[in-house]
Amino acid sequence: MRGIFVFFIFCSIFLWELSDLYAQKNVISLDSITAQELEAVIVSATRTQRQISSLPMPTQFIPQKEIEAINAIRLNDLLDEQTGLITVSDFGGGQGLQMQGLDSQYTLIMIDGVPLIGRSAGTLDLKRITVGNIKQIEIVRGASSSLYGNEALGGVVNIITENPRPGKRSRIDYRGGSLNTYDLRAQYTDNNGIDQWSIFLNRLSSEGYDLVEGDDLRTVEPYTNYTAQVKYKGDLNPSTEMKISGRYYHQNQDYTASSSLSGASDINEFNTTLHLSRSPLENWTQEFEFYTTRYKASEFLDNTDGSSFSESDFDQWFSRPELRLTLATDSSGTWIGSLGLTYEQLKRTDFFGTPEFYAPYGYIQYENQVTEKLNVVAGARYDLHSAYASQFSPKLAGRYQLNDKISLKSSLGYGFKTPDFRQLYFDFTNTTAGYTVLGYNAVPVRLPELQAAGNILNVTVPLENFEEPLRPERSLALNLGLDIKFSSRVKWSVNLFRNEIKDLIDTRVIAQKTNGQNVFSYYNINRVFTKGLETDFSVQISPYLKLNAGYQYLIAKDKDAQQAFDAGTVFGRINPSSPVFRLSSDDYFGLVNRSKHIANAKVFFEWPELKIDGSFRATYRSAFGLFDTNGNSYLDQYDDLVSPFAIFDFSLNNTIGKKFRLGAGIDNLLNYTDPGRLTNLPGRLIYTSLTFKTK
Amino acid sequence: MKKQVLLTLSIVGFLTLNSCSKDDSNPPENTQNESILVSNLHAPQETDYTQNPPVASGAFVKFDFETGAITTSETDWDIAFRGTSIIVNGGSSSGIVDAPERNGNAGAYLVDGIFDEITTINRTAFIQDGPMGLAIPTGSGNGWYNYDPNLLAIYPIPGKVLVLRTADNKFAKVEILSYYKDAPDLINEQIALNDLRYYTFNYVYQDDESANEF
Repeated sequence: MRGIFVFFIFCSIFLWELSDLYAQKNVISLDSITAQELEAVIVSATRTQRQISSLPMPTQFIPQKEIEAINAIRLNDLLDEQTGLITVSDFGGGQGLQMQGLDSQYTLIMIDGVPLIGRSAGTLDLKRITVGNIKQIEIVRGASSSLYGNEALGGVVNIITENPRPGKRSRIDYRGGSLNTYDLRAQYTDNNGIDQWSIFLNRLSSEGYDLVEGDDLRTVEPYTNYTAQVKYKGDLNPSTEMKISGRYYHQNQDYTASSSLSGASDINEFNTTLHLSRSPLENWTQEFEFYTTRYKASEFLDNTDGSSFSESDFDQWFSRPELRLTLATDSSGTWIGSLGLTYEQLKRTDFFGTPEFYAPYGYIQYENQVTEKLNVVAGARYDLHSAYASQFSPKLAGRYQLNDKISLKSSLGYGFKTPDFRQLYFDFTNTTAGYTVLGYNAVPVRLPELQAAGNILNVTVPLENFEEPLRPERSLALNLGLDIKFSSRVKWSVNLFRNEIKDLIDTRVIAQKTNGQNVFSYYNINRVFTKGLETDFSVQISPYLKLNAGYQYLIAKDKDAQQAFDAGTVFGRINPSSPVFRLSSDDYFGLVNRSKHIANAKVFFEWPELKIDGSFRATYRSAFGLFDTNGNSYLDQYDDLVSPFAIFDFSLNNTIGKKFRLGAGIDNLLNYTDPGRLTNLPGRLIYTSLTFKTK
Repeated sequence: MKKQVLLTLSIVGFLTLNSCSKDDSNPPENTQNESILVSNLHAPQETDYTQNPPVASGAFVKFDFETGAITTSETDWDIAFRGTSIIVNGGSSSGIVDAPERNGNAGAYLVDGIFDEITTINRTAFIQDGPMGLAIPTGSGNGWYNYDPNLLAIYPIPGKVLVLRTADNKFAKVEILSYYKDAPDLINEQIALNDLRYYTFNYVYQDDESANEF
């Protein structure tokens, strides 16, 4: 398989050079910065620079100005306040993104167009990402596997880092606040017109917090992390532009499991990208991108006497060369074609071997302004995979401009997520309870071994069931939207969505063990849907006052669960001394951690005379369930649900001269907490910040 | 408010249903087959973590439906408890260590429904313990309980009724209400950790071997 990889790179170089032979040496700068100044331009939706208002799929972007106005330091601070997005804690404390009711593992998170990895339990922790050097954040809703392949079921979030502006600039930001949280950022950029480079450093430390007193554990343990990013952009030769970027992230955090077990966890992550582009012909751009990333997490626990209790490692590699050709014509639209290869490897404690994946892929996309009013984007991607069935992911989207105020949008696309390494190769036996979890591909080897060792009482799911490969989880997403621009100041958008997901992977018992416990493995079972409505309203009341309000209505259900309720086979009980009663269809509450209503309201204000700007923001979440509390294994309305709550944040900044900016703010003004259940809410946080910049 | 109304409705609903069925059957029988509550049946278990995989051990606590009490008798017992495992005095060893010898003809099956509405005895449905597993399967969602990995708590599955044939061919139906001491309304981490393995259950005993109903 390694041969394929090398072969692919040679092919890319060959194609690259071949096209050069036939090309004139006529160079066009790819980053037309001037166009971006006029109106928000995003790249994630189509992989071409497009004005956000002209796109047929639901997209959203968060500008740097907003990031600075709210004094955000981490990505979760920011995404949590956007319409239809919430961050949800996983059991490991990670903050994942829920979008259109889909779990964090179904949304692809990218930095400058390349994916982040390191989902040790499915969640990509948004706290890993500093927002210090971000130009904008782009969010595309709806399945986007036609461009991005794996993981882009619910949509994509693309974090675009800043490009140096002309001249030499440096900037230092410092923010300190409650929980002894200190965030220091330093940035230096140089753009001399020929080449540009930048360096960004960030250190964040916090003592964490403890919501539940009296036990030996802290809700969030003290941590310190560092981010470093270096970017360079220049001309490799007169016809080829080269971009190199590298990012490094390190975190060290205490880890306590009980009064007698303590240790630490450590994360090391790096990403490197080499990006070459040139335009050998007018309208014709070719790009070659080579991306490599590694995410390594280790943790250990020691006994009080210093002897080792446990150690675990998670070490993931991801490499991807991609060759991309873009042909943009004024009359007949824009074509994008691409070939790429993904290589992934994971070494992990409790794993069956060291799995490797190879996945060559190709995609093509066509977009065109068919008539003055109609814009269409059509694309498809084909992923071959060394471990799963191949995936074909088409997408079609259109936008119709009814008149100068109203436009209609719709998009229909497929998304998929391949089973993760854990679901295939896990080989884990719990040392305290004694149950075993085997990855799907580990079962045919490990189960007979356990049988031979006399650990298995009986097998409930015969081995024949593991002959067919585990299927990727797949979705079909439909979005129907309406944008109304009442005036240049008042805008309103509504989007209706439906995500139909099948082959969701769940666990089941495959054998009983002689110790009375079970062996679990993964299988394709669940059929889930999410549907709802997102709406966003914004009004620029004056040049110095902007109001933004958003709301999402969501229904997210498991179809099989709904059928069980419909059939009357689910029962409930209020408490052990009250009688059992049959639950009706309406009693089914849906998937865990989904609120039917989420809403946000934001006011951004400026007071130019005093050089003051700031914001007042509120987010609301209606009731949701974290897990079944009455034993029927389903979430129903008699379960102990998390009560609805609202969080209010306030920020204020004062610019002093041209070089200094002072900030202060309060997050979670009303000090709302729910100790046992909302581990991501530490209560009221007060902070101050100082910024110094040379220009 | 909505919850309460629904709850009231459902309670009223099944009370009505119940009273109807009572009217139809023979009234004198009912006095005999009343539902009896057993509280805090303690079923401890030892677990040896030095072995991989860990091995659960310890004596099973035996229960006799005829007397309605726990017993140390080697022969006059119907079901026995240890941790979340429930064995019946019928069939053969499943391989679990420290299980008492089965010398009766007990059997069991699980049925979904409201306890009072489960009235028929399906004589062909009884299965016994054996090397292929227990008549009342272990494991979350397989038998009588669901395991909540967040709280590490065991919840009896509402609507899961254990229908039993006793060691001497009588019948009983059992509804497990709680796995925790004094059957608390809400289980928290402390309770889940300290007060476990105390069974509270309801049962109805049918001492007529020829009966088809409870």
